[in-house]
Amino acid sequence: MVFNSYTFILFFGLVLLLHHASLSWKVKKINLLLASYLFYAVWNPPFILLLWLSTVVDYRVALALGKEEQKGKRQALLLLSLLVNLGMLGFFKYGGFLLDNFVAMVSLLGISYQPANPDIILPVGISFYTFQTLSYTLDVYRRKFTPETSLLDFSLFVTFFPQLVAGPIVRPGELLPQFKTPHLATRAQLTQGLFLLTLGLFMKVGMADGLLADTSDAVFGVPFPLHPLDAWTGVLAFSGQIFFDFAGYSTCAIGIALSLGFVLPDNFRYPYAAIGFSDFWRRWHITLSSWLRDYLYIPLGGSRHGVARTYLSLMITMLLGGLWHGASWTFVVWGALHGIFLSVERLFRNRLVRLPRVPLTTPSAPVISQAAVVSSLSFGREATKFVLAMITFLLVSLSWVFFRAPDFDSAMRLLLAMFGVIPTRIPLLTTLDIYKVMVVIIAMLACHWMMRGTSVARVAKHTPWWVLGTGWAFMLIMLVLTQKSTGSFIYFQF
Amino acid sequence: MHEENVFTKAGLLSLALLFTFVAGWEVYLRLQGFGLSYNDDEALWAYHRQRIYQATTANPVIIGSSRMKFDIDQPTWEKISGSAPVQLSLVGTSPRPLLTDLANDPDFHGAVLIGMTEGIFFTPSGSFPERQARKCVAFYPTWSMAQQSGFAIGRLLESSLLFLDEEQFSLRGLTSQLAVANRPGVFAPPVFPQKFVTRDFNRQTTMTPEFVADTTLQNQVKAIWMYIASQAPREPMPDSVLTGIFREVSADVRKIQERGGKVLFVRMPSTGPIREGEKQAFPREKYWDRLLEATGAPGIHYEDYAELARYDCPEWSHLSPDDAKKFTADFIRIIGQQTGGAFSLSNADSARFNTLMFR
Repeated sequence: MVFNSYTFILFFGLVLLLHHASLSWKVKKINLLLASYLFYAVWNPPFILLLWLSTVVDYRVALALGKEEQKGKRQALLLLSLLVNLGMLGFFKYGGFLLDNFVAMVSLLGISYQPANPDIILPVGISFYTFQTLSYTLDVYRRKFTPETSLLDFSLFVTFFPQLVAGPIVRPGELLPQFKTPHLATRAQLTQGLFLLTLGLFMKVGMADGLLADTSDAVFGVPFPLHPLDAWTGVLAFSGQIFFDFAGYSTCAIGIALSLGFVLPDNFRYPYAAIGFSDFWRRWHITLSSWLRDYLYIPLGGSRHGVARTYLSLMITMLLGGLWHGASWTFVVWGALHGIFLSVERLFRNRLVRLPRVPLTTPSAPVISQAAVVSSLSFGREATKFVLAMITFLLVSLSWVFFRAPDFDSAMRLLLAMFGVIPTRIPLLTTLDIYKVMVVIIAMLACHWMMRGTSVARVAKHTPWWVLGTGWAFMLIMLVLTQKSTGSFIYFQF
Repeated sequence: MHEENVFTKAGLLSLALLFTFVAGWEVYLRLQGFGLSYNDDEALWAYHRQRIYQATTANPVIIGSSRMKFDIDQPTWEKISGSAPVQLSLVGTSPRPLLTDLANDPDFHGAVLIGMTEGIFFTPSGSFPERQARKCVAFYPTWSMAQQSGFAIGRLLESSLLFLDEEQFSLRGLTSQLAVANRPGVFAPPVFPQKFVTRDFNRQTTMTPEFVADTTLQNQVKAIWMYIASQAPREPMPDSVLTGIFREVSADVRKIQERGGKVLFVRMPSTGPIREGEKQAFPREKYWDRLLEATGAPGIHYEDYAELARYDCPEWSHLSPDDAKKFTADFIRIIGQQTGGAFSLSNADSARFNTLMFR
């Protein structure tokens, strides 16, 4: 079920009641586990089996890894976990894509092959929970984490409903220890959690769906070249939509978990105020970028084996990061563009100008409410930093064209229209639509810029209660006024 | 102040402000004379789509565009036939994807009435007038349990709270009422007067009493129809495209008939400049007559029956609620007479019909 639904309000109310009832900790954990399975099953009940398979295999493999000392057997166990998890992901997410590419390849060789349509349904959130369980097995294999002996705790780690289908992708050390001792939200955590839930829903329903989605869908959906104003407006609308949609989900997840007494890691930190692309990836989908860094970029060699290998590792990481988002070459191009942006930035930093490095590791403070101040960049004046941030935002927005467009033809048509290269310029958007997008995007950029060094909780803490309450009421009223949204979050499909 | 108190006090204040706003907004709208109306979205469509398997000639599935939703009065139909039809028509939308959906459902053996509004029906496959129909057809098989329970809760709330009328009182609906001039060359989506219609849970669309009584409101809607007509393509549809449409529709009709189902095409009334424009753009012999000929299915054109052609549409395109009731009663009787029994009500239904009509 989605957070932005009547069903979820009812469901969450019952879960909160049960979690605050005078029951034993074990019973409360069983309640949370059953609630998580119910949360997932109401989409498509059979896919629960995949969750169980992933849970049981990784639980047993990790226990065996904890006991096994022989390197070969440990590698075999790891391989089993990788085969099961990546096999599921490969079949459900990339099966059709691989088949299409195979058909295209053999047709290049002059062989005509027309397979039946595989018609595979993608289980919601499979990329997220697969990466989460993989990180567990890999950490146990590397002896960074002791195998979890409680099947209940491990099942809850895999299935915990607030972050099950769209993250944040949680590492075992961040969540499993929280299941060991009774966790009940304090009144402060409960109200902060509900505040974050409202904020997340406001971002998703009020901003992404209410003010941006229609414009973005219209611009990316037309089969003809648009006027540059319409093309730019549509692309900027999508830049805003994907941020509000995905960051909104993460904020909801963090808020829901917090109101139950659990702390989830931060996933977004005002990414459109990023200065450069390495800064962007420290602020956008933080738990995925740190996962890719720790389990892909560093094992590929990272920056330890010379310049060429570093750039190669970077490109492979970003290409696979692109492919993680969707089984299409447009996502690979999106990843490649970010790989190129990161490489060029690295080149500049190392060779041409001495830009200060921002620490690679994410701050230890784990929740949005504790988001640390990113170390201030000392170069240039404030205006220069703002211009660099806007250049970063524009390049990120251009890359979104490949992320959102249904195919390369549409992406290229839109990009050419944005720069006025195509002589045919068809106006599409109403003036009101353009106003709405521009107001939201300008407000979003201003908010990101002002908040780039702080956090919601930090600001809230220093705000008079009546101002905070009025702002909270504004968001609730906007939710009521926007009413139904388009439903699913964009990242569910990944 | 302690952080705990800050959030608690802020939360309580926000709830107080929210409830004040909601109560004030609801009371204000009621004082303005608005009526309750359901959201006619994909979920409501899917809810009724589930009922097609019980459809018979007495309670057929109705597909078409807005004229089918305004002009067939479902309570009247139910009173006469004993059971309500399944209304699946979509406003401003071609019924062809819906027909294909019914044709491709092997479990559908019932009767279907297909409303034909030429400007919407005869558009190339995949074009804009099919968008909402395709969306609904795609939505139905993916309507999850979570969405169904959300729909059930929403239905309860919408039956009591007027401000939940998404089309009119959501942020999108309210901002669309802003008079912002558009750039030249941009098609402006029509903004209908707020008191034009209400929508019931059975997907019946009904003009409000205020609209029926107020010629200013009617003139606003007439102006919208004329604007839409002015945006329509000037060139007639190429015959190859038209032939392709006939072929597609015939194939779908045949599939339904081969399973024992019944199909009836219907042309609902339109009047004034709208009807004149339709006659010019879509001559009957080129479109309606050829459609019936190509599909071999029966059809009822309102102009062929004095009882059906006697009405004046307040905004040239749809019947008023009172006229829709009388029209529906006549329409049911004519269906039985003109389809040679194929679409007639059962004996028991006929007896009830006669009792009601001649009482």
